[in-house]
Amino acid sequence: MRIDRDTFREILDSLLRNRSRSLLTGFGVFWGVFMLMLLSGGGNGFRELLEKNFEGFAHNTCIVFPSETTKPYKGFQKGRYWSLNLTDVDRLKNLVPELETVTPLVSMWGRSVSNGDRLFTASVKGVRPDYSNIETPKLVYGRYINWMDIQEDKKVCVIGKKVYKTLFPEGGDPCGKKVVMDGVYYQVVGVDYNEGNMNVNGRADEALTIPMSTMSRTYNFGNQIQLLCFTAKEGIQMADLIPRIRVILARNHYVHPDDEQAMYMINTQVLFGIIDNLFKGINFLVWLIGLGTLLAGAIGVSNIMMVSVKERTTEIGIRRAIGATPNQILWQIIAESIVLTLVAGMMGIVASVLVLAGLELGMTEDGILKATFQVSFGIALLAALLLSVLGSLAGLAPSLRAMAIKPVDAMRDE
Amino acid sequence: MALIELRDINKTYNNGQPLHVLKGINLDIERGEFVSIMGASGSGKSTLLNILGILDNYDTGTYHLAGKLIKDLSESQAADYRNRMIGFIFQSFNLIGFKTAVENVELPLFYQGVPRKKRHEMAMEYLEKLGLTQWAKHFPNEMSGGQRQRVAIARALITKPEIILADEPTGALDSKTSVEVMQLLKQLNKEEGITIIVVTHESGVANETNKIIHIKDGIIGQIEENESHSAWDGTMMK
Repeated sequence: MRIDRDTFREILDSLLRNRSRSLLTGFGVFWGVFMLMLLSGGGNGFRELLEKNFEGFAHNTCIVFPSETTKPYKGFQKGRYWSLNLTDVDRLKNLVPELETVTPLVSMWGRSVSNGDRLFTASVKGVRPDYSNIETPKLVYGRYINWMDIQEDKKVCVIGKKVYKTLFPEGGDPCGKKVVMDGVYYQVVGVDYNEGNMNVNGRADEALTIPMSTMSRTYNFGNQIQLLCFTAKEGIQMADLIPRIRVILARNHYVHPDDEQAMYMINTQVLFGIIDNLFKGINFLVWLIGLGTLLAGAIGVSNIMMVSVKERTTEIGIRRAIGATPNQILWQIIAESIVLTLVAGMMGIVASVLVLAGLELGMTEDGILKATFQVSFGIALLAALLLSVLGSLAGLAPSLRAMAIKPVDAMRDE
Repeated sequence: MALIELRDINKTYNNGQPLHVLKGINLDIERGEFVSIMGASGSGKSTLLNILGILDNYDTGTYHLAGKLIKDLSESQAADYRNRMIGFIFQSFNLIGFKTAVENVELPLFYQGVPRKKRHEMAMEYLEKLGLTQWAKHFPNEMSGGQRQRVAIARALITKPEIILADEPTGALDSKTSVEVMQLLKQLNKEEGITIIVVTHESGVANETNKIIHIKDGIIGQIEENESHSAWDGTMMK
């Protein structure tokens, strides 16, 4: 059959002159698409927001916290305090070649740092340069701690965003300027803008990072360290290494190898795996719900078209009596279904895009978007394509029924 | 050759119990005739009308319409013949409710593929002929029964068909408009020479036609010439 402006007008006429029926039918599809787009966009934005929290934190890190022993071992009673030291770092490096980075951390909380009359209460972290493999700094000025700083016990520091904003409200590059902590002057060599919510011993934006050797000397830590962080090489499961590492460290400190509370280990790989799976699940649910709603909408269209065909038996009979071929009727019903589904679906896409745009507007801070909620053009296109397929499928059964209507039925119905 | 030539038409319905409705119909209708087919309900007159209108098939016999054998047509062929050769007028008007008068009249031309503008012009022309110009933009439910039937007549005429088949055209009208509609058909027959076949069970209506074909129990009984319109003492629907 010919598809021209005339045919299209005929279809539009049928749909527009039966407005409430078309509206109700279209709403099912509208809602389906709206939900699908909204959920997929919202889910995506939500994930981005959550991932922001872990930004700059290595995904395959393990952190060891020494703690009070709970099991007696080799003549030592339980309840003994112990701590890690620098030999553990070398031991792990030598004995576990699967490890990429092994780095110690010493830290203190609530130290007053000042620049002139401005004061900030910061946490202090003493690190080695390779600590940047654990918490990746986002340097906007200067550099990170380097090996030279460690060797020469330099009094230099990298300051977090909040420290910088408080101590240097005038802005600009603070590198070369000095800040005071506990009577010791430290030269600022870098500013770290990392704002992730996953940190070791204090938020990065409230921290003053100094060379570990400087910190140990200044505060008399000797070769004791508080935490041990390590990352595994690419493709190696951290969980496979942990039992070995536990034994190595335990042997060095006469701690029972099975005493999990004495040597508490956090494996971020497991954590990130859980989160990853969570979002895979959420994503799956989003599409399940969205497609389900859409499918329900399409079935609704099919159903109402079916009723509509039944209701229009007379009309179709008249059309047949005055010369419409069965094919013309078939195409008219299918086309009506496609047009209805597409128009309603497009409205759903537009509405969801608008809502998501509003959501993004509310999520923007200082002109910087926190997370993208908007669906991509490709997804919208895919949805439109899906709609036309669904529309024609939905129109199939009703149109076949319409085709079977004989012109005599028109008169018989009266 | 007559415009309509029926030879030994037989039709049996097989809904559960076989029902032999038409038992050998032989009928000739010439071009320009104004004929009525009369019979009680169940006599087979509706079935005959359906066969004449290519709305239904017959079992045996032959039916020639304007020289063409109408038998075992495909659905789309039947649709095409209906569209070009036959105009229908129904008891209940059978206008499409969501279309205006002029759109209803245009519809047969739409299925012929006539361009919109041309269709509209022709439809307006026919509506004018039937005195409905100012009703063109109205929907069927805004019109009286007589006006609706006139719209239906315009729709039947617009394709310039060979025959007009009217199935109880006055069945849903009051007596005054019934007379008007019959006068209109009469006039169309006289002035334009259009062949009209009216199916009715009302003798008053049949009396307005020039020939009355009585059908009873599936066979044609009597064919009355009625040029004088006096078959029933001349009183139509008091």
